[in-house]
Amino acid sequence: MATALIKGEDGQVAELARARAGLHSLLARVFSAAPTAELLKGVKDPEVLSSLAACGIAFDEEFLSGGVEEQIRELAAEFTRLFIGPGPHIAPFESVFVRSPGEYQPRLWGGATVAVAGFYEEAGLRFHGSQIPDHLGLEFEAMAALARAEAESRESGDREEAGRLLELERRFCREHLLRWAPDLCLAVERETTSGFYRGMAALARTLVMMPGEEDSII
Amino acid sequence: MRSITRRDFLKLGAASTALLAVESQLSPIARAVELVDGGRSVNRTSGLPRSFLPSTCTQCPAGCGIIGYVEESRLVKIGGNTKHISNGSSLCARGQAGINALYDPDRILVPLKRTGTRGENASWKPISWDAAYAEIADHMSSIRANPSQFVYLTDDLENDGLGRRFAHAFGSANALGAAGVYDANKRVATRLTWGAAGDMPDVANSKYILVFGANPLESHPQFVGFAQRLINGMQNNQAKLVVFDTRLNNTSARANEFYYVNPGTFALVALSMANVIMQEGLYNRNFVEQWTNVSPQQLAQSLAQYTPERAQAETGVPAAVIRRIASEFASTFPATTVSDSMISNHVNGTQTERAVMLLNILTGNIDNRGGLCLPRQYNVADAQPAPPAPAPSGLAQPANLPLASLQAVAESLPLLKDRQKYPVGVLMTRGFNPVYSNPDNAAVADTLKDETIIPYHVAVSPFMTETAALADIILPETTYLEDWNIEVRPSPEQVPFVALRQPVVPPLESSKSFFDISTDLAKRVGGGMEQYFAFKSVEDYLKARIASVSGLAAAGGLDYLKQHGVWYDPKSKPNYGSFAAGGFATPSGKLEVASARISGLGFPAMPAYEPITAFTNLEEKDLVLTIFDTAIQTDAKTANCMWLDEIQHNNPLWINPDTASKLGIKDGDKVKILRSNKTNAEAKERSVETTALLSDGLHPKVVALANGCGHTGYGSIAQGEQTPKDKIEKVLQNPNTELVWWGEKDGIGVNAKQIVPKAVDPIGGGQAWGDVVVNVAKI
Repeated sequence: MATALIKGEDGQVAELARARAGLHSLLARVFSAAPTAELLKGVKDPEVLSSLAACGIAFDEEFLSGGVEEQIRELAAEFTRLFIGPGPHIAPFESVFVRSPGEYQPRLWGGATVAVAGFYEEAGLRFHGSQIPDHLGLEFEAMAALARAEAESRESGDREEAGRLLELERRFCREHLLRWAPDLCLAVERETTSGFYRGMAALARTLVMMPGEEDSII
Repeated sequence: MRSITRRDFLKLGAASTALLAVESQLSPIARAVELVDGGRSVNRTSGLPRSFLPSTCTQCPAGCGIIGYVEESRLVKIGGNTKHISNGSSLCARGQAGINALYDPDRILVPLKRTGTRGENASWKPISWDAAYAEIADHMSSIRANPSQFVYLTDDLENDGLGRRFAHAFGSANALGAAGVYDANKRVATRLTWGAAGDMPDVANSKYILVFGANPLESHPQFVGFAQRLINGMQNNQAKLVVFDTRLNNTSARANEFYYVNPGTFALVALSMANVIMQEGLYNRNFVEQWTNVSPQQLAQSLAQYTPERAQAETGVPAAVIRRIASEFASTFPATTVSDSMISNHVNGTQTERAVMLLNILTGNIDNRGGLCLPRQYNVADAQPAPPAPAPSGLAQPANLPLASLQAVAESLPLLKDRQKYPVGVLMTRGFNPVYSNPDNAAVADTLKDETIIPYHVAVSPFMTETAALADIILPETTYLEDWNIEVRPSPEQVPFVALRQPVVPPLESSKSFFDISTDLAKRVGGGMEQYFAFKSVEDYLKARIASVSGLAAAGGLDYLKQHGVWYDPKSKPNYGSFAAGGFATPSGKLEVASARISGLGFPAMPAYEPITAFTNLEEKDLVLTIFDTAIQTDAKTANCMWLDEIQHNNPLWINPDTASKLGIKDGDKVKILRSNKTNAEAKERSVETTALLSDGLHPKVVALANGCGHTGYGSIAQGEQTPKDKIEKVLQNPNTELVWWGEKDGIGVNAKQIVPKAVDPIGGGQAWGDVVVNVAKI
C-alpha cells in the first residue's frame, strides 16, 4: 500500500509527514482547550492565513480584525458552550458518536473508547494524564505522534518502520477519526458563533476527509 | 470539497508547526501522546479478564456494599457485595444505575468559572485547577479574621468527615448537613428518649410488626438490607405485618392488615393503643418500672384521654381495630414498630415518633431480639490531629430549635437573609442541591442569586445541578465511584460494621476527589489549617480515621477493607439488651418517657397528640398533599440516570376516584395543584401542574406526588430532552437522549417541593413536608 510513497524521494515524503504532524498537533490543541493569546496571534499570522486560504479555509472578518485579548475571553466561553455545557453541547468523544457492535446506545466511555485505547497500546502509543482516550484532541495528537515518528524514520532511512507507521496513521483515520470527526465538525460549523471555531472545524473536516490512498498526500 | 495541492499542504503544515512552537509550552495537549518502544498486542474481542473491586454505593442514604466489575478500564457492571453484612448480594435499581452517573455525558469534567450574571444569564469558561484554587483561596483569605463567614453545605454530614474537617480547620462551625430536611424529628425523638439518634427495628427476628407511615419495601434509610429482613421475618417467623398509612403503598400491599389513617393523626392511633395496653394490664410492669422514668400510674393517667372511641372519631381507624391490634401487639413477643417519614414529617412529628416508640417501651420490646433496637454503628472518629470544634453558631444551632442540635439546613438557609446577624463571605455547596430539595425552593434560589447575601459561591459538583448553576465557580468533583471514604450506617443485622468507598475506576478527565480538593485548598488558604491536611495520601488519611475502630487493625486495617469492602467483627453477635449494663445514654440513664427537655420548651413532657392546625378545619375542597419516596429516584440525586428515568420519569397526582369524581377529574386529566392559604397564611400563592392518576389506594382526603421529578437543571435526561431528528442537532445532545421516549409524551413531572413552605416541628426541627393543604382543579 505504502510503496507508492516510499518510491518517491524520502526527503519529500518525510516533509509531508512533518506537515501532517504539525496540522494534527494544531487541531489537537484547538479541540482540547480554549485558545491562548499566543495561539490566536499565531493563527492570525499572515503567512498562516495565506496557507489556510490556499487550502480553502478562510476566517471571517470579525475574527481577523477583533482584539486578541477580548477574543480569548469570548472563545473561552464559546469553547465551554460548545464542548462542555451546560445544556446541549458537543461531547467530543468518539464513543458518543459511534455505536459499537452490541451497544444499544452510544455513550461516554463506550466500546469505541476501548477500541481507541486498544489501538494506542497496539501501536505503542502511551498517553500521559487522565484523559478519556477517544477525546477528539487526543485522537488528533495520536495522529500527530505517528506522523512525527514516521518522519523521523524516513529521515533516518528506516523505510520499513516508516511504512508501518504510515499504515497505522491510515488505519486510525479510517477506523476512528473518519467515522465521527466530520459529523462533529459539521455540528461545530453550524452551531458556533465564532469564526475561529468555524474555520478550525472546516480545516479538521477537510484534513480528515482527504482520500487516503496511493497517490494522496496523506 | 476543494482539493489541496501538495505544495499548499506542505506550506500549511510547516506554518502549523511553527506557530505551535511558540504556544506549545502552554498547551495541555502538546506531546500528550508519544511513541514508545515495542507496541503490545491487545485482545480486542470480549471475554477479557475483568477486575473486581468492592466499594460502597451512595445513590441513596443506605450505603449498600457494591462490587464494580471493570473490563479494559471501563466499569461495565455494578452488583451487590456478597460479603456486605447489610445488603449482601442484592442491590436496587439505583445502585446498578450508578454507571449512568459515572459515564454521564452531562458531567462537568473541568473547573468552570462563571462569566455574566448569576442565574439565567450565566455563561461559563473553563479555568485551570490552579487558577480556581487561587481564586477561592483569595476569597477565603479575605474572611480569615471572621472564619464563621465560611458556610459549608453538604448532604450527609455524618459521612462527610472531610467537609466538616475543612470547615472546622478554617475555624467555622458552619458545616451544615441536609438530614434536618429529612429525618430530624425521628433523630430528636429517639435521642431524647433513649440517648441515641435513630432506631433499627429487628424485623428479621420479630413476630409482630406494626408499621406507622413507613414503606420499607420501597424506601427506608437502610433500604435493601432492611427490606430483605422484613420479608425474612414474615416468611421465617410468620410475623404479622400491620400497616397504618394514608396511602396503600407497596408495603401495605403485602401486609396482613392495612388501615387508612387521617393525615397527621398517627400519634392518636399509637397513644390510644398504648392506653388500651395500660387499661387492660397488658404492659410489661417490670420493664416499665425498672427502665422508664415514669410510673405505670403516671402513664395510665396521661394516656387515659386517648380512648379508642376518640381515636376512631379523629383518625378514622375503628375503635374495635385499635383494641384488637393493641392486644395482639402486647401479647405477641417479640414485636416491634417501624416508623418513618409519613409520621415524622409533620409539625407534630417528634411527639408522634415518641408515641409510637412508647408501644415498644410498654411491652418491653426495647433493644431485644425481634424488638425495636438501638442503632448499632461504629463511631469512626476524625483523623488525628483533628481541628478543634469551633464554638457553635446560630446557623448550625438555630436559637429557636435548641434540641435540633445538628444539620438543620431547612431552618438555616433562610437565616442567611439576615446579613447583619449571619454574614456570609464564602458559601461552599457539595453533593446537596437545596434549590431542588429544600422547601420553598424558589426562595432558596433567590437567596443564592443575591450577591449581597452570598458574595461568593463555590459549588463542588460533578453536575450542573440547579444549585451549581447559581455558583461563581464549579469544581468538578468525581462521582462516588471514583472516590474514597469511610462509610458507616446503622446495621440491620445488629452487628456494627465499617465500610470503605474506594475508586472502582480512576477519576475521569480532570475531575478530582474531595480529598484532593480540600487538601489543595487548605494548603493555599494556610493560616494553620494546612496542618490538618498534611496527609501524604488519601490512604494515610483513611488509615488515621479507622485507627479508632478496635479489631479492624488486627484484621488488616485499610488493606482488609480494600480487599473486602466491609469489616465487622466475625465473632461479634448482636449484643441485645446492651443497656442492662450501663443504662441508657440519657440524663436519668433510663428511657425518658417524660422528657424534661421537651417540657422545658413548653410542650407536654409525655408523648402527646397535638392536632395539626392546618388540618383542623378542612373544607370539602381541601386535600392534604403527601410527597412519597419511591425505590427508583432519590430526591435530587439520581434523576439524570437514564436507566432510572426509563422506569420513573414523571409523577402524576395520585387521587382517590371518589374525590376525583366530585372534582370532575378523570384519569389522565391535566390538573392544577394550588397550595391553600390554610397551609401557611403568610406564604405566597404557589401551584404546580401535572396529570391525575386515579387510585383506590389513597385516602379520600389525601393526594400524593412522588419525589425526584421535575428538574429544571442537572442534565438532559433529568429534563426529559429527546434526541432531535436533525442530524446535527442530534450531535449536540447527550447520546443517552436516544432512549428518552417520554419527554414529549409523558413529560418529566413536577417538583412537589415548589409548593411546600418552610415549616418545622418546634421540638425536633424537622421539615413538615406533610402539612400542605391543597386545592386541586382540572385544567
